[in-house]
Amino acid sequence: MDDELGTPALRRSSTRAKKIGAKVSAVLADPNIRAQAALARLDALENDNIAVEAIDVDDDDEASLDDEEQGFREKKAAKGTKRKTRRAKAQAMERIGNNKKTPRSFLELLQEANLESLPAHIPTYHKAAVGPPSSGARRHFCTVCGYLAPYTCTRCGARFCSSRCKVVHNDTRCQKFLQ
Amino acid sequence: MARGGGGGAGGAGKTTVVVLDNGAGFCKAGFGGETDPSVVVPNCMARPRSAKKWVVGDQISEVQDIQGISIRRPMDRGYLINPDTEKEIWERVFKTHLKIRPSECSLLLVEPLFNLPSIQKSTDEIVFEEFGFQSLFVANAPALSHNYQVDCAPDSLIAKSNCSLVVDAGFSFTHAVPVFDGFVVNHAARRMNLGGKALTNYLKELVSYRAWNMMDETYIMEDVKEKLCLCSLDTAADLDVARSRGRSNYFLCDYILPDGIKHKRGFVKNPQAASAYMHKRKKVEPVDMEEDDDEEIAEKEETRSATKAGLPAKEDHQILTLTNERFLVPEMLFHPADLGMNEAGLAECIVRAVKACHPTLHPVMYSNVLLTGGSTLFNGFKERLENELRPLVPDEFEVNVQSVDDPLLAAWKGGSMLAASQDFHTAAITKREYEESGSSRCRRRFMF
Repeated sequence: MDDELGTPALRRSSTRAKKIGAKVSAVLADPNIRAQAALARLDALENDNIAVEAIDVDDDDEASLDDEEQGFREKKAAKGTKRKTRRAKAQAMERIGNNKKTPRSFLELLQEANLESLPAHIPTYHKAAVGPPSSGARRHFCTVCGYLAPYTCTRCGARFCSSRCKVVHNDTRCQKFLQ
Repeated sequence: MARGGGGGAGGAGKTTVVVLDNGAGFCKAGFGGETDPSVVVPNCMARPRSAKKWVVGDQISEVQDIQGISIRRPMDRGYLINPDTEKEIWERVFKTHLKIRPSECSLLLVEPLFNLPSIQKSTDEIVFEEFGFQSLFVANAPALSHNYQVDCAPDSLIAKSNCSLVVDAGFSFTHAVPVFDGFVVNHAARRMNLGGKALTNYLKELVSYRAWNMMDETYIMEDVKEKLCLCSLDTAADLDVARSRGRSNYFLCDYILPDGIKHKRGFVKNPQAASAYMHKRKKVEPVDMEEDDDEEIAEKEETRSATKAGLPAKEDHQILTLTNERFLVPEMLFHPADLGMNEAGLAECIVRAVKACHPTLHPVMYSNVLLTGGSTLFNGFKERLENELRPLVPDEFEVNVQSVDDPLLAAWKGGSMLAASQDFHTAAITKREYEESGSSRCRRRFMF
């Protein structure tokens, strides 16, 4: 929560915001992408905290966003050598991992087991799933304070309960660099 | 009766049976016939930030710097995916704690329901090829917990009907499983993909946005969850309480985070305040709450602003303040839809499991709902489940929810009983059988 660091005026003039602002707005408004983000969040609930190679992925993503930006050119060049070594390291790690049989996730194993091919009367992992709820009613909690939230953010779809929480949401979560 | 056909090496005496309840959260291990497991270790490997070496399971409690510890688990979604890691953990358990030689022992292993053939195969490989156990018996947690409860209370309805609905809320998932005549009715078992791990991660996510960034602190957050979370009996009212300020907010409570110097582990600042809700819950409606509010607010406001700004509060502690997170987290077990999951809640899960059974069993199932697993330990879990279940069950049936004697260890204790019985040796796969016919054929006798 470093909202004191950058004033709104500074944010508005950021080239980065200008470049990607439109894209981000479009993305946030897309219901498919919102659904995807929700799924990703649910998946994350099953994660252990083992952050090893996650950093590499992030780095590359940002690079592609900043691609055309002149200001980042030199920095990128400087970073390039560093990244190469890091990538090489990752590859080396991968090679070692392959030798040691890298563990696959449960979902991969599940897919491989091909449980759908079994006859219908055999109970399987899939058939034991509880399935969707009978009533579609869903309570919404304020993403900021946790109270029941009647309002929805018009840009990103997050929930909040009051104007106070809305301000916090806008300052911290909702495209905070685009304000 | 030929006992343990292939394992002649056991000699004249009875072979030792090792009982291993290999849960995704904790690995419980001990000897068959004993009342308590010899050792309960977290089923994971961990590495503190300062070290390069991974430590195994129980060694975590000795680690000095618990902040930012990374944790690697052999289980994903409740199933064993990383045999190598598991092997290291078992090795420590067998060698250091149980002090056994596997080649002289039999193993009773608790496996999750609907285990995949490929996972069974890799498990068999570890058991017979890496460790070389004489024989293996595979059991499942719901049936063992049921049998344990039957043994504990021989006069209860559960024991008389030998039939119950076991709710096993574990680390990775929650199962509602009908047990009939001591065996799992597997075609009626239902699973929710929500367990202790998801709840911890959810709490972590909430806290990381609202207070401190705890995204890398799963281990600490697990402790916070276990100590402070509870099940709300009336969510709407409790949300109002949690929103109020001052003393009337009896959910407000502080957890001191470990700083690595003075406190190696976190703890609850004021345990009495943390359990205040239990007394409040019994009272009708607190009316006189408003009086002392004003003086309180000033004080609270001061500490709160201090924590918010990230400044150390009075005693130089890092304080994590929780309010409605305390009950909103376990709430997700009852309403996963609130989280955006397309899954029915626990009460509905139970109803669906019961409905998949024969209709004559329905009344006895509803009056024998048995809770086991670590995630049922939240305060108020039983009452909450009763409240949720009652409207969904037909009037003429009685609803009775009860907790197993020891929800964490019930499955292990049931396993220990089984290991001591004669059935174990007649049914177990011996090493020779495994070598002759391979994993898949041997496994057929443990279909569940």
